[in-house]
Amino acid sequence: MKGINRRDFIKLGLASGTLMALGGSSELLTKTYGKRETQKKVLILGLDGMDPHLLEVWMKQGKLPAFQRLWRQGDFRRLRTSIPPQSPVAWSNFITGMNPGGHAIFDFVHRDPETYFPEFSGAETLETQKTIRIGNLVLPLSGGEVRLTRKGRAFWQILEDYDIPATVFKMPGNYPPAPTKQRTLSGMGTPDLVGTLNHFNYYTTEFAEINEDIGGGAIHEVYVAENKVEASLPGPVNSFKKDRPESSIDFTVFIDPVNPVAKISIQGKEFILKEGEWSPWIRVQFRMIPTQSANGICMFYLKQVRPEFKLYVSPINIDPAAADLPISTPKSYSEELEKRFGPFFTKGLPADTKALDNNVLDDGEFLQQDDFILQERLEMFEYELQRFDSGLLFYYVSSTDQRQHMFWRHIDKANPLYDPKQAEKYGRTIENIYVEMDRMLAKAMDKIDKDTVLIVMSDHGFSPFRRSFNPNTWLKENGYHGLINEWRQGREDLFMNTDWSKTKAYAYGLNGLYINQKGRESEGIVNPGAEKEALVREIAHKLENFRDPQTGERPVLRAFVATDVYQGSNMDKAPDIIIGYNQGYRVSWSAPLGRIPKEILEDNTEKWSGDHCMAPEVIPGILLVNQEIKAESPALYDLTPTILQVFGIEIPKEMIGKPVFLSSGERNGKNQNKTG
Amino acid sequence: MGKTKIKLAKELMEKVKKYAEMAGYSSAEEFITHCLEKEIAKLEESDSEEEVKKKLKGLGYIS
Repeated sequence: MKGINRRDFIKLGLASGTLMALGGSSELLTKTYGKRETQKKVLILGLDGMDPHLLEVWMKQGKLPAFQRLWRQGDFRRLRTSIPPQSPVAWSNFITGMNPGGHAIFDFVHRDPETYFPEFSGAETLETQKTIRIGNLVLPLSGGEVRLTRKGRAFWQILEDYDIPATVFKMPGNYPPAPTKQRTLSGMGTPDLVGTLNHFNYYTTEFAEINEDIGGGAIHEVYVAENKVEASLPGPVNSFKKDRPESSIDFTVFIDPVNPVAKISIQGKEFILKEGEWSPWIRVQFRMIPTQSANGICMFYLKQVRPEFKLYVSPINIDPAAADLPISTPKSYSEELEKRFGPFFTKGLPADTKALDNNVLDDGEFLQQDDFILQERLEMFEYELQRFDSGLLFYYVSSTDQRQHMFWRHIDKANPLYDPKQAEKYGRTIENIYVEMDRMLAKAMDKIDKDTVLIVMSDHGFSPFRRSFNPNTWLKENGYHGLINEWRQGREDLFMNTDWSKTKAYAYGLNGLYINQKGRESEGIVNPGAEKEALVREIAHKLENFRDPQTGERPVLRAFVATDVYQGSNMDKAPDIIIGYNQGYRVSWSAPLGRIPKEILEDNTEKWSGDHCMAPEVIPGILLVNQEIKAESPALYDLTPTILQVFGIEIPKEMIGKPVFLSSGERNGKNQNKTG
Repeated sequence: MGKTKIKLAKELMEKVKKYAEMAGYSSAEEFITHCLEKEIAKLEESDSEEEVKKKLKGLGYIS
């Protein structure tokens, strides 16, 4: 059976953003597009979530010698992050040199004012409109499409205009990859094969563990009969069929009657796992119609054989050797990497934090998985570093962010889940990943020449996440949000219990708050203009003055009014207020998708215990470079014009940032002053 | 087009008639048909709701 080709996959119209978007070229060898041999070069390490406070402490303790060396050689600053400081927003500031008013990414989650329905902000899916039905089959006659919603040009597209080569590895918020002939691999936002941001499968005989309503995965109840388990791996929705059923692959697990070992048989492949062992990548093909299939890769982990059977299967990543979806430009770049390194993680954020949060994987098992990811990243970095001889290389690491999210509870004694015994075991996990990054930086510093500008940056820092805030509950308690039935409060997502005729404001996503505006929202009641403006200011003021009765602190440090803080011509999807949480606080778990729990504030009892979706001043990022920084308080969007300045490119007028280095003229002037 | 009879409680039918008239429907039947179509549309939409929720709940920040 052949793999589904890109054109057919577009036609297939798989739901939820799993479609192809690009008409990129399909070269056999990947070359960066720009042909110029540039004397000046720029190497950027993008270390997601690296925190300046922790970095400084460990630098001063001598634990991070390469970072320390770079600081001595050049400069170190706290880097102003985006409003709000969420990764897709922050990295989009960096990619475009604009803020959300320009690039139009305001939050992980946007909303449709017509339906009050949430949307993933990074990409939109346009499903195929024309189909023909033959019996049980629905065959598309025209193509569907997935589009990158970010506006503005990416800096590597501008470099391409000037024939300057660039490799951009796993840039977050760049799925589907912006059209370019440069070498790019998509990062955060890239779905799994099922079309979600994470969906694991877990098979167990343990009744107590069965919970169908978990986010990010499915738990399947299975039975052991005659030392055999029959199970099924769910795949993408099959849009070729009338009722759009989920595709699936049956597999069998043969359990050794004596030893803690099992053999797994799936699609003609057989492999043996010991208890506590991970499989290598296993290729799977979901058959849609007799001539077509979708290609994925996944890992199996045999967690336990007896007394209860427990088998974890990772989210099914898009197969980089036969990507049915647009994960790289040119398409052959992912194939080239696969050929060299074998199958690799293609899902945007590869570590399965959902499995850890749901106790499917424990701390140690999660770290094993993230070690696979880190190891893969480091090997690919060496490869890209060795062939980097002109233009720009951007290289991204996610493990810094993911480990801080999940292991902060082991360094924060005030966290509700802090356990000294566990802290003893895992309390250095975050420090260790900083040390790993130090080793990576040392390799980069050894490789570069004097003409290379080295930038080490993060999109934001980190803060403890101990208490969670329900903005819609606060709005309801303050008379801005009406319910249909009081008794149903807290039971439904997506504002199913909201009476829009009595609602002036609602919050969606991680930091956004919207006015129910007449003429914009389908059931809006607040007049645009003076009435809305007064309401926005009133709510912002009240939010900032609300205090947590338990701690006496203000959960909302800053309530930013969008029109005060955003510039640009793409404000259509902007929230009216952006909630900037105080240190220790964040939006609750269920509020981002329109649930209205009964309590305004709750303890955060999840393992996800560090966060950054707060006020930007609470969690700045880092900026370390091998030369002097003139800007006192540089921001993410200042780095984009900085890159262009290094290559002598005129800065486009839509960029709001300013270069952070002295220009050559300024440097000369400064040198003359020194000598004079 | 074939038609099917449906039984409704007398009290409910009285309310239906009252609100159908108040809302400007030409008949109670038209009002009931409209209500049912609206509810069924909601149910038919639930697949896409589930798909959106499933997709977004994969995000670590949301449960």
